[in-house]
Amino acid sequence: MRRSNKRLPWAYSLPALILVGIVIVFPIIYTGYLSLTNMNLYHWFDFEIIGFSNYERALLKLDSGFLSALFTTIIWTAVNMALQVVLAYFIAMALNVDGLRLNRLYKTLLMFPWAMPAYVSILLWRVGMYNTEFGLLNKVLTALGMEKVNFLAENTPAFISCLVLNLWMALPFMIMMIDGALQSIDKSYYESAQLDGAGFLARNIYITIPALRGIIAPAVIMTTFTTFKQFDIIYLLTMQKGALSGATLQTIITYAHQNAFVSNNYGLSSAVSIIIFVLIVVFSLGTNRGLREES
Amino acid sequence: MVIKMKSSKKIKTKLKLTALNIFLISLSFIGLVPILYALSLSLSGSVGALSADLTFLPEKVTLENYRRIITEEPFFTWLSNSVILSVATMTVAIGFAVVASYAFSRFRFKGRTGVLKLLLVLNAFPQILSMFAIFRLFKTVGMLDSKAGLVIVYAGSMCIFSIWNMKGYFDTIPVEIEEASRIDGAGDFQLLWKIVIPLAMPAVIVTAVMVLIFVWNEYLFATTFMLNEKSYTLAGGLYQLQSNDYGRSWPLFSAASIMVSVPILIIFFCIQKYMVSGLTAGGVKG
Repeated sequence: MRRSNKRLPWAYSLPALILVGIVIVFPIIYTGYLSLTNMNLYHWFDFEIIGFSNYERALLKLDSGFLSALFTTIIWTAVNMALQVVLAYFIAMALNVDGLRLNRLYKTLLMFPWAMPAYVSILLWRVGMYNTEFGLLNKVLTALGMEKVNFLAENTPAFISCLVLNLWMALPFMIMMIDGALQSIDKSYYESAQLDGAGFLARNIYITIPALRGIIAPAVIMTTFTTFKQFDIIYLLTMQKGALSGATLQTIITYAHQNAFVSNNYGLSSAVSIIIFVLIVVFSLGTNRGLREES
Repeated sequence: MVIKMKSSKKIKTKLKLTALNIFLISLSFIGLVPILYALSLSLSGSVGALSADLTFLPEKVTLENYRRIITEEPFFTWLSNSVILSVATMTVAIGFAVVASYAFSRFRFKGRTGVLKLLLVLNAFPQILSMFAIFRLFKTVGMLDSKAGLVIVYAGSMCIFSIWNMKGYFDTIPVEIEEASRIDGAGDFQLLWKIVIPLAMPAVIVTAVMVLIFVWNEYLFATTFMLNEKSYTLAGGLYQLQSNDYGRSWPLFSAASIMVSVPILIIFFCIQKYMVSGLTAGGVKG
């Protein structure tokens, strides 16, 4: 009974679609409109359409900072994903070694960083780990007789600090996905490989990795998007209102947010938002096609 | 000779397992350090944070910080705001999404796949980037600083996720059950309310809890759209607490973080099993 009724399904989905219309479609259209105007602090009500010059400014002028933010975002996403997948792979492998009795306990303990509210974790790390006075890392350094490090004051250390924190927050999910996938691999492959004399490396390259690829692809793609769109970590660690840490790290999302809520450059911020949206849509259409072909 | 080889192999695996256990114990410990440190600070009164030496266990366990956060900060106001907002959002989002996802799962109508795909694309727009547009809209219609406004924003943000999540579950429920009850004379709405939703309860509950967690953890919209401290949620209040003067309030903040996180941790470990399937069911989201 796949029913075909013309009006009923629309009646059922109308409330939800109206809600989506207000909260998601309207902002996108309005942002698209603003991106063509010169709206800023001085033109709050009397802004006018100025065509595509916001886009020009973002994409063609190097000093607008957008291109360097885009570069940072790409590096951020690539490094994060590479480390995440590799580390999670080895940790999940370790959890699946035969004869390990406590693996359920380890799994539960390792899930804690994922379960914590994200903003709480970030703020705990900001003060509890990285801070120069109260931070545990600096206390350890002092105890070892070394100088204190201001982790968030310069771009490179700040980038690494954000990276470590992101790994801490994101690894549990990836470990769990890979762990689930590892358990779905038929054990008999390994037995026959063992008989053929395949070593640890060969078993990984020829059995585990090919078997995992299809299963964990959706999770990896999803995490890539969340990493690309990551805002909270960089914002809360380095650029809170009135508590700038000194680093000037910008990803494209923080760049758009800064331009709207700090420098009140609404036109430029909107243009950047639309560019980000287009990038994400193109990327997701591409990965959807790739996934379909693989399955 | 054979016996000797066997026992040396046994010793080797034993050694390997011991090394592995040590590795996993230290990994789990490293993962827990930031949380344990906050816990220990929250229990050590107001001096713990300032002491320069490396102490991990509080010298004297006291609940002073927990008392202060409850009495000196509007903790219960924040808590009740969080509860009201998350329950209201959950009701609106799930209420709307459940009927919509049922329609998308059970009916074949013109524009069905188109709308479903469009919803996924729309979901790709980072929520933070629409904040300014919604802010201006709400300012124009006078909905800033109102709970109803925030509920609309939150429900809208979680609506697409909820539709996709529950549609996936509806797809797995055999339609024969509905056919049978239709023959018994059940009307459209009765069918949905009395037959389908009870069957889909596991998916509805998991989705509802994930909406709840989202609202509970949201700080950015909560602090941008709510203009005075009395109307903050727990997340907003905590954010405010640490941005004011964290030197003074850092032990307080750690106590508050523990209190805010415990309910979420409990819920998380209850629904963890179902969460993974839900998160990846809809393909690409974030």
